[in-house]
Amino acid sequence: MISLRDVRFGYPRSRFSLRIPELSIPVAARAAAIGPSGSGKTTLLNLVSAIERPQAGEIETAGVRVDRLSVSARRSFRITTIGFVFQDFLLLDYLDVLGNILYPYRLHPDLKLDQAARDRARELASNLGIAAMLERPPNELSQGERQRVAIARALVTAPKLVLADEPTGNLDPTAKQQALDLLFDQCAALSMTLLMVTHDYGLLDRFDQVVDLSTFDAGTT
Amino acid sequence: MKDSLYLAWQYLRHNRAKTLLLVLSLAVFIGLPLVMRAMSEVMQESLMARAESTPLLLGKKGSSLDLVIEALYFQPKGVEPLSEAEVTEIDATGLARGIPLRTGLMARGFPLVGTSLGYFPFRHLALAHGRSLTMMGECVLGADVAASLSLGPGDALLTSPSTLFNLAGVYPLKLHIVGTLQPTYGPDDRAVFVDIRTAWVAEGLGHGHQDLSQAGPDVVLARKDGGVTANAKLVQYNEITQDNLDSFHFHGEPSTYPVSAVIAVPDNPKAGTLLRGRFVDDPTRQLLRPAGVVEGLNQQIFRFERILQIVVWTVGLATAVMFVLVMVLSWRLRAEELRTMTRLGCSRWKAGQIMGAEIVLMIGASVALAALLGLLMAQYGETALQNLILRGS
Repeated sequence: MISLRDVRFGYPRSRFSLRIPELSIPVAARAAAIGPSGSGKTTLLNLVSAIERPQAGEIETAGVRVDRLSVSARRSFRITTIGFVFQDFLLLDYLDVLGNILYPYRLHPDLKLDQAARDRARELASNLGIAAMLERPPNELSQGERQRVAIARALVTAPKLVLADEPTGNLDPTAKQQALDLLFDQCAALSMTLLMVTHDYGLLDRFDQVVDLSTFDAGTT
Repeated sequence: MKDSLYLAWQYLRHNRAKTLLLVLSLAVFIGLPLVMRAMSEVMQESLMARAESTPLLLGKKGSSLDLVIEALYFQPKGVEPLSEAEVTEIDATGLARGIPLRTGLMARGFPLVGTSLGYFPFRHLALAHGRSLTMMGECVLGADVAASLSLGPGDALLTSPSTLFNLAGVYPLKLHIVGTLQPTYGPDDRAVFVDIRTAWVAEGLGHGHQDLSQAGPDVVLARKDGGVTANAKLVQYNEITQDNLDSFHFHGEPSTYPVSAVIAVPDNPKAGTLLRGRFVDDPTRQLLRPAGVVEGLNQQIFRFERILQIVVWTVGLATAVMFVLVMVLSWRLRAEELRTMTRLGCSRWKAGQIMGAEIVLMIGASVALAALLGLLMAQYGETALQNLILRGS
C-alpha cells in the first residue's frame, strides 16, 4: 500500500535531510510514525501524500508512483486518494460543520458533490456523534467535537489512505482514546490504511505497525 | 465555478461587516462619478431645452441669470419687476407677442405663476383633467403639484401668506382648482398657474369687499364727495366667487402693475433680431436670449463638475488602494487556510478562482448598489440637483 525505497529528501535552503532505505505499510494497516522533533515525521507524511517530491528514490502510495507525478497530478491524487487529519484540525469558521465535512468536494472537480456525498457526510457525522451539530459553526464546538469534524472531513471522500498529523495532541486522555477509537473504527469499516504521527507512546500498542523515524538517517547535515 | 462562488459567498457572509464596508466604498467609487456625469448631462439638457424653447425674455436690467431662473424655472430670485405696460409695448411693436409672468408668490410650497392664457399653448401644456382658466380666482395645477398635494379640479388651494406676522398684511387667497396639466417633466409640473390678475390680487394689489353703497352705518364711518370711509367691520373677501367677482377691483393704474418678466415670442427670426436691436441700448431693461444665459450656466456647472470629478477620482483611487490592501491583508491572514487547501489537493487555479470569486461578488454587489443609487438619483436626483443649482446660482 505504502512503499518507500532508497528515498532521499532535503528542503531547499535548509540543512535538514531524510534518508529512508526501505519502508512498507500494508493495505488497511494502522501505522504510527514516531520519533523526536526534527526526525522527519511530518516530512514522511508529506512525501507519502506527494506534497513533497523526493530528490531520489521511489514512493508508491495506493499503487501509484507519486514521485513521478506532475504537480497538478499530485494534487489530484491527494484529494481523491488521501484523507488528512491535521493537528489543529484547520476547520473553516465561515462554514458550518456540514460545510466543513464536505469541504474537499468544493476544491476539486474530480470530486462530485452529489446527494450520495451528502448522505455519506451525514452518515459519518452520525457515526462520529456530531449529527446534531451539522448546522453549527466550528467555533461553537469543543475541541473533541472539532476533532470529530476533522475526522469526518478526512473520511468523507472514502480515501484509500488517511494521514493524521498528531490529531490527538490537543485532547485530554479520555478524548484522546475516544478520537482514536472513532478513527480506527471508521478506517476499519472502510478498509482504509492509516498512518498517524504521534508523540504519545502510550497509544502505540493500539497500532499494527510503528515506524520509528529515529532509526532512519534523518537530521541536519 | 459554482463551488468557488459558494465558498466565496460563505466567507463574505461570515465577515459581513468588512464585506459591507468594502462593498459600500466600492459602490460609491463606481457609482458616484457615473451618476454625477449622467445627472449633470440630463440636467444640463433639461435646462437647455427649456431655455431654447423660450426665444426672448424681457426683464429689468440686472442679473440676466437671475431673470432667466425666475422666469423660466420659477425659482424666486427677487428680480425687479417691469410693468404691465411693457407687455403691451412688446405687442405694439408688431414684431412679437408678449406673455407676462408674475412670479415670487407661493402656494403650499409651490411657486404661483401669474400669466396669460397664451402661456399654455406656448409651452405646449395640455390639460390632464378639468378645464383652463376662465375667471379670476381660479388656478390650474402642474402635474407634480397635483400629484404631491393630491388635489384636482373642484378642490381649493390657499396661497402662502407673504407677510405672516403682519396683521395688516395680505391674507392668503383661496384658489379654485379648475384643471390639472399633463406632465412635461419640467418646471411647469411644479407650478400653480393663475391669471396674472389673480396673482395681483394674491399679492394685495387688488381686492374685493362688501358693497359700501349698500352698507349700513355700522360699517360706514363717513360718506364725502362720492367717497366712502369704512371701519374695520368691512368684510374683505379672501376667495373670488361668481357672487363676489364684481366686487374685486384694482386701485391705481393697471398698466403700472408689476410683471416679473415678459416672454417675447417673435413672429419670425428677423423680427426677433429687430426686437433685440430695440432693447440693446435700453438703460433700464434687458431683452435676452435665455439659451445664451443657460449656456453660460452650463459651462459653470461643467467646470464645477470637472473639479468634483477630480476629487471623486482621488477619493476613488484611495478606495481602490484600500480595497487591494484589505484583500491582500485578508489573504495573508488566511495563509493557513490557503496552505490547508493546497495540502488537501486544491489546485492553484482553484484557489485563485475562490479568491477571484470573492472579488467578483464584492464588485458585483458594488455595481448593483451603484446601479440602484443611479436609479434613485435618476428618479429624484435631477430635480434636487436642479433646485440646488438654480437656488444657489
